[in-house]
Amino acid sequence: MNPGTFIQLVIDGLSTGSIYAALALAIVLVNQATGLINFAQGGMAVLSAYIAWSLNGFGVPLILAILAAVVVSFFLGALIERYLIRRFERGDPDTAVVVTIGLLTLITGLCAWIWTYNNRLFPSLFPLETIKVAGAVISVRSLGTIIVIVVIMGLMQALFLGTKLGLALRAVAINPASAAFSGINVGRNLMVGWGLAAVLGAVAGVLVAPQLTLTPGMMDSALVYALAACILGGLSSPIGVVVAAWLIGVLENLAAVYIPFIGHDLKIAVPFILIFVVLLVRPQGLFGRKAVVRV
Amino acid sequence: MSTKRRKMRVASVVAGIGVIAVLAAGCSRGGGTPNSTEDGGSAEASPGITDSSITLGITTPLSGPTAGPGTCTVAGITAYFGAKNAEGGVEFGDGNTRTVEIEALDDEYDPQKAKANYDQLKSSVFAMTSGLGTPTNRAWREAAIADEVPQVLIQTGDPIFSSQEESPWQLGFVPIYQNEGQAFGELLAGSAEEHTVAILSQNDDYGEGYVEGFKAAIEGADNIEVVKELTYEATDTSVDAQLTELAGSGADVFFNAMSITPLVISSLQKTQELGWLPSWFLPSNTSSPSAILEPGGAAAFPGVYTVAFAQSAAAPTFAESEEGAAFLEQLKEYANYPDVPAFPHCVWSYQIGATLEEVFGNMTEPTRENFMEALRDVSGFTAPLMLEGSTVDTTEDGQPAVSTVQVQKYNGKGYAPAESWDQ
Repeated sequence: MNPGTFIQLVIDGLSTGSIYAALALAIVLVNQATGLINFAQGGMAVLSAYIAWSLNGFGVPLILAILAAVVVSFFLGALIERYLIRRFERGDPDTAVVVTIGLLTLITGLCAWIWTYNNRLFPSLFPLETIKVAGAVISVRSLGTIIVIVVIMGLMQALFLGTKLGLALRAVAINPASAAFSGINVGRNLMVGWGLAAVLGAVAGVLVAPQLTLTPGMMDSALVYALAACILGGLSSPIGVVVAAWLIGVLENLAAVYIPFIGHDLKIAVPFILIFVVLLVRPQGLFGRKAVVRV
Repeated sequence: MSTKRRKMRVASVVAGIGVIAVLAAGCSRGGGTPNSTEDGGSAEASPGITDSSITLGITTPLSGPTAGPGTCTVAGITAYFGAKNAEGGVEFGDGNTRTVEIEALDDEYDPQKAKANYDQLKSSVFAMTSGLGTPTNRAWREAAIADEVPQVLIQTGDPIFSSQEESPWQLGFVPIYQNEGQAFGELLAGSAEEHTVAILSQNDDYGEGYVEGFKAAIEGADNIEVVKELTYEATDTSVDAQLTELAGSGADVFFNAMSITPLVISSLQKTQELGWLPSWFLPSNTSSPSAILEPGGAAAFPGVYTVAFAQSAAAPTFAESEEGAAFLEQLKEYANYPDVPAFPHCVWSYQIGATLEEVFGNMTEPTRENFMEALRDVSGFTAPLMLEGSTVDTTEDGQPAVSTVQVQKYNGKGYAPAESWDQ
């Protein structure tokens, strides 16, 4: 076993895992704020990436285009919550989930209608350069992606645990009625939760677009992995889902190369077998808290 | 699970809209009743042909990940016949001049939809043509044989369509995968130096066909050794782990039999990051200079080779040539395709139009049987925009209409012919 190859596979795994992590964080955020799983998160991320791509095409420098797309995404997310999801929040959660799936269909169709299915080349935020460490070639893009996700994860953990807004968001999620009685503006908090999730999605979108090229269905498979990371890490823990997403990315790579039986053709099964095993042992996920209902 | 279900929903909505749009377009055009030849010739006319017009059907991906090339498969032939119709039509061997209408439906690269599209078109079109995709074309191959509907000059490299015994009503247009792999293997085997080869191939008939042709060509060549061989799935979004493993082999030639555009771009980038700089071989459908090589930074490699039989529309000299300029102009005017196409399929489908015109000229009766006879009798025909050395030849059983390919080498902007490896 060549140590350079091993390190490289781990870093590459962390980098792909980081993309799943960004989307998983967005799903966790919405779930924490509204108790829903938003299947449209991947579609919203693609839409954000298209907005950044279009602005960049009009001559706006890349970093500004991305920031603008992030801001637009925040408001789009908030508006979607206010005018679409709000109507289904009090009802059957299954209905709301179907609404988010419908939303995904709509957004994907809209992107295809405006920007067509042709692959659009999205410029990378990070240079194509590499650094050599212990025989491994590590790309700046991989490192940059990982660092961005670590920073965002830290911010989210701080937001939820250390700020009044975070407390309010959690209160609204756990018990909207009581939260409203204690003077929290439930509606505004829900909008903020969705807006922040859309921002995370936008980050995931612009991180992955340079590698996959921009197409309306770009995030479809990332969404599956992100959901897997949510279940594996536990829906209530931002750190948990990031660790789970990294685990998925790294294990997939290592299993493909070092377990001949699995190889590159069967590696997609690895995260799902992992989920199966974890859920049997710890149904709340690796880092999740058990939902306790007091009677 | 849920993604699959969701994809299907997306797919069916988009397809629904597509079908409605096409139906509406068909209606507004007036449709035209088949079999309206009154006096007729000696034989009763087949569906989809009258004394003044002929209708051709296409099922191809117009939405979804393969829509880029798919749109081209309609645009090129529509442009070709659009220009011919504007001049009054195409002269047939039976003495009639007919306009050529195209009915194209979207199958999203979904075999089931392709079959449904075929069922919808089979009784109103004279022949099916030009559509892209191996699984999609395979989905209705047997039905077309049973219905005796021509499924010809389609854009797939699957050899089954060019075997007359297995596919009496079919004929492929583009070279079969084996032709391409073989051409590259022959060039490499002719090198004066020793080479080690790493192979990455798609885990399906496409990848296997390329590798089969390549291996057949290097068999017995002492100077070539395949040192590492890996596969990937067509649904994978990253092949970084495979490339890391292949780079470890230190091979000086990398044969990447890959059909997914974004994966080829990221492979080009990843190998550079790894510091592995072999010579590359890429299939003809994923070697576009503007859409793949430039964004992938392919100039960093000692050589990127591909095979081709048609000129590349993205090449700098293309628009300056008379044929190239006419092609781009007709694409804009008749096919509503204003850009310079990034995919070769636009030129291929234009050549399919020209080949069909040649066949129509030899048809003496307005029947599908007579058409198939005339179709299998074209040889030495040089379609517009063909590279020197390539011709259309439909007379050889087991080979598609175009089977002679030229190996080309990327020169930083476009491709130039490569006669030998060491030049």
